[in-house]
Amino acid sequence: MDKALKTNEQATVEVKPLKVKKRKAKSLEKQKSTFGWLFILPFLLGFFLIYLPMIVSSIQISFSTIAYEDIGQVLTWCKPLFTNYSNALLKEADFTKTLVECLGGMAFDIPAIIIFSLFMAILLNQDMKGRAAFRAIFFVPVIVSTGIIESIDLQNTLAQLGDQVSNLNGDGVEGAVNTGTEIINAIDVERFFGSMKIGSELAGIVSGWANNVYNIVNRSGVQMLIFLAALQSISPSIYESCKVEGATGWETFWKITFPMISPMILVNLVYTIIDSFTTKSNVMMSFITTASNEANGKPLGTAMAWLYFLIVILILAICTAFASLFVFYQRREK
Amino acid sequence: MSFTEKLKGLFTKKKKPEKIVTGNAKIDTETSLWERIKAKYFNMFFVKKLGWVIFRLVLLIGISYVIIYPYFSKITTSLMAREDFVDTTVLMIPRNWTLDTYKAIINDNKYFTALFNTTTLSLLCGVSQTLVCAIVGYGFAKFKFKFKGILFLLVIFTMVVPHETIRQAMILRFRYLDLIGIIPQLNGWIFNMFDGGTISPETYEKFTDFIGLIPNALNTYWPMAILSLTGLAFKNGLYIFMMRQYYRGVPDELEEAAYVDGAGVIKTFVRIILPMSTAMMVTIFMFSFSWQWTDTFYTDLFMPASGGNILLNNIVSIPKSLDTEYAGQMAYETAIRNGCGILILIPLLIMYLFGQRTLIEGVERSGITG
Repeated sequence: MDKALKTNEQATVEVKPLKVKKRKAKSLEKQKSTFGWLFILPFLLGFFLIYLPMIVSSIQISFSTIAYEDIGQVLTWCKPLFTNYSNALLKEADFTKTLVECLGGMAFDIPAIIIFSLFMAILLNQDMKGRAAFRAIFFVPVIVSTGIIESIDLQNTLAQLGDQVSNLNGDGVEGAVNTGTEIINAIDVERFFGSMKIGSELAGIVSGWANNVYNIVNRSGVQMLIFLAALQSISPSIYESCKVEGATGWETFWKITFPMISPMILVNLVYTIIDSFTTKSNVMMSFITTASNEANGKPLGTAMAWLYFLIVILILAICTAFASLFVFYQRREK
Repeated sequence: MSFTEKLKGLFTKKKKPEKIVTGNAKIDTETSLWERIKAKYFNMFFVKKLGWVIFRLVLLIGISYVIIYPYFSKITTSLMAREDFVDTTVLMIPRNWTLDTYKAIINDNKYFTALFNTTTLSLLCGVSQTLVCAIVGYGFAKFKFKFKGILFLLVIFTMVVPHETIRQAMILRFRYLDLIGIIPQLNGWIFNMFDGGTISPETYEKFTDFIGLIPNALNTYWPMAILSLTGLAFKNGLYIFMMRQYYRGVPDELEEAAYVDGAGVIKTFVRIILPMSTAMMVTIFMFSFSWQWTDTFYTDLFMPASGGNILLNNIVSIPKSLDTEYAGQMAYETAIRNGCGILILIPLLIMYLFGQRTLIEGVERSGITG
């Protein structure tokens, strides 16, 4: 009897906190959502107080002309509202040309970067001697090759161009010292092929390819890191069972590795498109920079930048939509 | 063990431990060494494997060469004396070694001041960006609230917009910075509406006095600090994305256990989640630190060289004490600029050497696949 009473008591005791819990659970959810707002508050503040006004005023600049008066810059709306845009598209002869050139370059570069980084990530993921050393070397570009080296190279090429213009008759006194970032000089290639009587154009093409390799290696560091992380997260037991079933390495790659990392291919595609369209060394970006650095060129440059941004968004949307057809998700979101 | 004994030990082969002879092992001894070698190495499997290993090694070494070569050539050319640039027999290795270039850069271009300033700025930005992105990423990963999807799209949006698009607007914004942020923008619009696009100077001054503007935020650390603290600085969208993916991989049970034990949300975050994600945060700190270190866009924008606040990317110029008027002037000046670049990168590379293992581990463990 005593025991039964006790259990009864326990039961009643247990019921009470359950009721309280239920009420608490509701408020906890609300509480958690407010905490969610609290956690993303810094970003929200920044976005709506700083970023959005900047975007708005940038759009405003692109639709207006700037006059300089005592108090600073004064914006007035253009008379036909789209003057800057139509100027960029119709009057600037080089804008569309540079744009097409830039897009053509990207059409080759982006797939090359993704395939290369995937391949290298698979290599670096294998067991071998000196893997740590190779990894350390391969990720140097991630750390190092942003702004500053690019701007130094830019200064160097500018100086060289200036030099070429100022003494056109200077016949190669400059010596053999290879000072730029170029892995292979056209001169080297010409020397190498000299005995074969190969024209300078072909030498130029070969050295262009070699330096493009350097360019691609330099730009695929982050992508390699992302792929490496994805490869590490595939459970080894899948590979084991594959081996037991007698699949070759080739089959394993296409049936297991590729589908498993396909979400990361999408991520990398997006990242590569964004990154390569917005780096400083991009032809279009430097074109816009020079355009907006000219006198009274700010509205025009901003208009160009917005046009360029729209095109990038369009390309991004098309590529993402196309790639996501082939993406395989192991588990769906809740 | 003495040294000579050690030396002897190197040259004399160690005896293999004797095999325990059992029934099966007899067959092993009967097959000759040649047979065994043949069985081991002369089959398709081994040849294929060997071929693959050699191919892999050649490829990896080749690409490592491609990566290292520019730095190598920059270092060697910056160690050359002036005469070497007109000597056609000098290709890579200097004939007259000299450190004059580096001495001149360090003395004339105020290298150490710039180093100190950049270190301060990068540390400031790195630490604040890492923390802010961790907080925001956690918010996006673990809480349910309205408009979450749209707000996260805004994060992606900040990544996609090229800097060039908002460059002018950013200058305007931080030229007259105030703490409330949006008000000068608003009064600009209002004046535009009423005055037909022109603002009379007196009313503008009244307004600015009223709001209490910091007169000019350029050439201070304020713009960078504000951008970092709000997760808008260089590539912060990527960091938020990475942190979110990482926290999504953390099981909910961990936090639930903490809540049951009586910890609040913030306490759970500070005491459990943050210490847990150290590897990922080190990765992001290294990204933000080094990308701030080598950044030229924001620093040129907010702290131009004329501003007196010298940063590392302002030291890239030809030192006055070096006489470059010479036959190989262009090559020499290029080498000097490259020397500046090397001086800028050396502290970063040293940091990378110590941190690279953590960096790679952090990314591996991030479980970005989500």
